[in-house]
Amino acid sequence: MKLAWQNIIHDRSRFSVTVLGVSFAVFLMVFQGSLLVGFLRAASRLIDASDSDIWITARGVQAFEFGTTLESRVREMAAGVPGVMQTDRVCMAFAVYRTPKGKQQVVALVGADPNVGKRFPVPDVPELAGEISPDAVLYDVSDRDLIAVPALPTEVEINRHRASIERQIQGYGAFLGVPFLFTSYRNAIRYLGFGPDDAMYVVLRVSKGSSVADVKQSLQERLPEVDVLTRDEFAHKSRMYWTIKTGAGGAILTAAVLGFLIGLVVVSQTIYANTMENIEEYATLKALGAPRSLVARVVLTQALLCGAVGSVLGLFAVIPVIDHARSLIPWIYMPWWLPAVMVVPSLTMCSLASIASVRSALTVEPGRVFRA
Amino acid sequence: MPKKHLPSTVCEDVTELPPSRTARNRVKRAAYSAGLAVEDQLEPSLGVDEARSSRFLGVEGATVSFGQGDARIWPLRGVSVTFQRGTLSLVMGPSGSGKTTLLSMLGCLLSPDEGSVFVDDVLVNQLSETEKTAIRQKKIGFVFQAFRLFHSLSAIDNVALGFELRDPKQSQRLEMARQLLDQFGLGDKCNQEPNELSPGERQRVAVARALAGDPPILLADEPTASLDAQAGRNICQILRNQVDEHGRTVVVVSHDPRWRKFADRTITLCDGQVEQGGRNL
Repeated sequence: MKLAWQNIIHDRSRFSVTVLGVSFAVFLMVFQGSLLVGFLRAASRLIDASDSDIWITARGVQAFEFGTTLESRVREMAAGVPGVMQTDRVCMAFAVYRTPKGKQQVVALVGADPNVGKRFPVPDVPELAGEISPDAVLYDVSDRDLIAVPALPTEVEINRHRASIERQIQGYGAFLGVPFLFTSYRNAIRYLGFGPDDAMYVVLRVSKGSSVADVKQSLQERLPEVDVLTRDEFAHKSRMYWTIKTGAGGAILTAAVLGFLIGLVVVSQTIYANTMENIEEYATLKALGAPRSLVARVVLTQALLCGAVGSVLGLFAVIPVIDHARSLIPWIYMPWWLPAVMVVPSLTMCSLASIASVRSALTVEPGRVFRA
Repeated sequence: MPKKHLPSTVCEDVTELPPSRTARNRVKRAAYSAGLAVEDQLEPSLGVDEARSSRFLGVEGATVSFGQGDARIWPLRGVSVTFQRGTLSLVMGPSGSGKTTLLSMLGCLLSPDEGSVFVDDVLVNQLSETEKTAIRQKKIGFVFQAFRLFHSLSAIDNVALGFELRDPKQSQRLEMARQLLDQFGLGDKCNQEPNELSPGERQRVAVARALAGDPPILLADEPTASLDAQAGRNICQILRNQVDEHGRTVVVVSHDPRWRKFADRTITLCDGQVEQGGRNL
């Protein structure tokens, strides 16, 4: 295998081009993969942030952002179903936000009861008691330019109601360009003009010892006019809506696949050219008695070495770029497993790219060694 | 690998040959394929002893063609040449006479359309590519006009690769490669790449690589054509020494007349047929 390594480092410029091609492909795949993972995550992050077992939505709601109000009796009836331990309310609607300087901006206002979930950003939770008012409004740090408050707290207007922006949070930035504002449930329905018993979503916790599936079935039987979904089902439905039905996820996925294909073309051309440049050496190797497996191994090793080096460089390049991109795309997210997983397609890409090269090296006529 | 050893004694398995050349070849091929010998009367220009030793290395009634239709050419037509063990044979002839084609057959790199090829007592015609590869690996060393060294490997790594190909488990290959290069006066050039060596040095590295693993047969194609007079003489002497000191069988294809004084025998080919030193069907 020394021959494989020596061949690739002997021609450094060609090696650099190959490694650059792989790095570019890995960069594209990881970046697009991070966009896709981040997009999926963002599409369901508020659902995932709840500690609930079951979500009740109006019939046909496709995503969290597009809920409609439920009748007030839904919550009362749900609370009476055996196995239901706790019911909470969540609402979300678009509202007009007015900055202190008079600039107007459409925002997505989210209100929730304090027990919806520990990670669900609401102000009236015991942990924040004394720090901010129970009716404070929270916003994500990535949306500070859109929210445009000079200091905290700042008085603003939401749907012509006075509101107090009091805290920045992280991880709930604008999704599709509209910033989220979070407040208590009672405050939200006031801003949105909902009735005191209205809710968009009723979220339930199931008591210990009860089966979520059984409770879900009981709820659906008792409330046939609404959709009853487990948290994971609603999160999945929301993700599918944003990724498949809007085409946004498809576009990101296509870009990731294109990154793979572009890399494949670049790498295969370079590896093939490299093989053809050394084709006389492969003929010599065969003439000297090298078995086909050895010849194939030399070509494949060269491809995989380029793949490994290119992958590492591509990953080193993409990590700071993704960090930097967060200021522009707050929902971009690179999970720890994504770079590791991307090594597999990149090495696969190099192996695929080397198929034509291996074929050429294996079929070269060893008798040509006698030509001067 | 199943070997098809030819019998060392001439037997009477095949006693009569058909009159036509094609039919004769067919019978001979069948006889060789079956591991039978052809009776000595069928080899009119060879005595019994010569027929026995001829099975070490040679071709029998070999015909080779390339191309199709009007473009078809016949580099060799019914050539029978044998090479005795422990000799240096020189194959000469004008360009296009079939010298390299003959060498390719002896090196298991080309199969004849008709006729037989035997290498180290093995009839190689009907062996699979894998079996032929194994014969090249174990039995034959090659020296080329264009050296054919691996450009990215140093001299010692080129020679070590020769050892590795013949015995992948050989752990001492670097040390053995160094010793071989020392023998050829290249001990101080071990770590130089081929493009840093003179043509004569490159050819000596190529010979060292060919000898790595101690093959009994050495096939050399115009080994001095790219060399100056002194370097050429060195190579002639090195290959001669392989015969005298190690008992190897060396076949050299060359235009270079200097080889005559180093060779035990000269075979001359012309227009795909033997003019001197062998037979034609």
